[in-house]
Amino acid sequence: MTVGYGHGPVLDRVSLRVNRGEFVALVGPNGSGKSTLLRVLLGLLTPESGDVTLLGEHPGRLSNPGRLGYVPQRARFASDLPATVTEVVATGRLARHGWWRRPRDEDREAVTHAINAVDLGEFKDRRVGELSGGQQQRVMIAKALSSDPELLVLDEPVAGVDAESQRQFRDSVVHLIEQHNGAVLLVSHELGAVADDLDRVVVLKQRVVFDGTPAELRSRGVSLGVHAEDLPLWLEGLD
Amino acid sequence: MLPLPWPFDRDYMQYALLAGLVVGACAPLVGGFLVQRRMSLLGDGIGHVAFAGVAAGLLLNIWPVWTALAAAVIAALGIEWLRARGQTSGDLALALFFYGGIAAGAVIASRASAVGKPANVLPFLFGSILTVTPGDAIAVCVIGIAIVATVLIAGQAMLAVVMDEESARVAGLPVDALSAALAVLTAVTVVAAMRVVGLLLVAALLVLPIATARLLAKSFRGTLIFGSAVGVIAVVLGLAAARLWGLAPGGSIVLVAVLAFAVISAVRPMRTPPPSAHDH
Ligand SMILES: Nc1ncnc2c1ncn2[C@@H]1O[C@H](COP(=O)(O)OP(=O)(O)O)[C@@H](O)[C@H]1O
Ligand SMILES: [Mg+2]
Repeated sequence: MTVGYGHGPVLDRVSLRVNRGEFVALVGPNGSGKSTLLRVLLGLLTPESGDVTLLGEHPGRLSNPGRLGYVPQRARFASDLPATVTEVVATGRLARHGWWRRPRDEDREAVTHAINAVDLGEFKDRRVGELSGGQQQRVMIAKALSSDPELLVLDEPVAGVDAESQRQFRDSVVHLIEQHNGAVLLVSHELGAVADDLDRVVVLKQRVVFDGTPAELRSRGVSLGVHAEDLPLWLEGLD
Repeated sequence: MLPLPWPFDRDYMQYALLAGLVVGACAPLVGGFLVQRRMSLLGDGIGHVAFAGVAAGLLLNIWPVWTALAAAVIAALGIEWLRARGQTSGDLALALFFYGGIAAGAVIASRASAVGKPANVLPFLFGSILTVTPGDAIAVCVIGIAIVATVLIAGQAMLAVVMDEESARVAGLPVDALSAALAVLTAVTVVAAMRVVGLLLVAALLVLPIATARLLAKSFRGTLIFGSAVGVIAVVLGLAAARLWGLAPGGSIVLVAVLAFAVISAVRPMRTPPPSAHDH
């Protein structure tokens, strides 16, 4: 696909495929078009040319939107938002049971399950604004997980969050992949916590400049886990 | 007539009480979503345009409630359209309607006077709850039922939309329709509240009880319920004070709401600030 905002292409003939059960990281320098790629995939933006298929359907017109989970970039709650963790996560479940329908027992169970999956059980009745940044990010992930997605798309979900939340994040994503055979497309520069779990790394800079396994990336001298600074430095040097 | 105690022993006080209770309970239900969307002043903007509608009704010899309703709904959808297109920021869109509305109202009202029609706009600006007729009370009740039904059915989806429009869209929610529904609900609330507190004060009933509720409630549901309760209390106390001391009822009701906010924010325990470790 080729995508732009009217001032030349932001993504130039990019081709990418994510398979069921696969854990793919999408990396690239700032402004390389990662969020734009996600926006196209999610049906929020139409490409100038090219085709996009999401779970076998047209993006933005899923017959069951619950099959898709999305954690947007910079998702933060206003500190004065008077809503509990459970209330916020339950809005994610609307994608599965239909917004006009009352939640049923299975829906409430799914919400509880998602909250426990990110280890926020003891905070479920707390106001989201009172939680730390890392915990709020986990609320967003639980919200996306609550609809039992087959594909989870995350835009820099762990940027700047603490190690505990990173580890938690890794566990919940791996759980989704292993127990529910879901696929994960993760945009992040901090891949240390998930380095051993990734199936593929895709490097984007207007085009796909690398698409391969973490091992192949390592053979180019870029390791994800050990030297956390390797990846950002390498990305900056890309031309 | 119901055997209610003083000050609600008279017919006119009972109709006032009925209309006031419905508006006091329902306006915060809408306001909760507006505050979350940072559109607290939407009710005010719509109210100003509804004023132009009232003036047009007086000029054209149409019941001003109809023309106010038409103007309010058009304004609500117009503001929402400008906001959703993202070309104009929400508060600029509001300013446009604020001043356009009040200016048009002033011009139309002056035209009505010029052609010899009585253009007494004061009851619409400051409320006229003591002259509520049974017909008015029924109309207010119908609006109240519509608000409660919409919030019961679509409240969770509207919460999703006001929290994060993009994720709501990805989740397949009809974001545009829900936003339009919220705008129209605001418009009908404004028209219902016009009789109770007047167009200049309608936004107070939408927003002030919610501001108070947000200090105490920890859930969104709780905020709406608590906001409704504050709205109801403000109406009862405000009306009683108006009867007791011969005050303007609209102003009295809103002052009680202001007082409730002041008292609660003074006495509530300080919330601990959120821990900010590792938040850059
Ligand atoms: N809504 C928009 N309108 C115009 N240009 C945009 C918009 N969003 C992003 N861009 C531009 O597209 C490019 C890619 O942005 P983005 O996809 O957000 O990159 P990344 O997520 O990789 O940092 C940038 O040059 C940015 O300025
Ligand atoms: Mg981005």
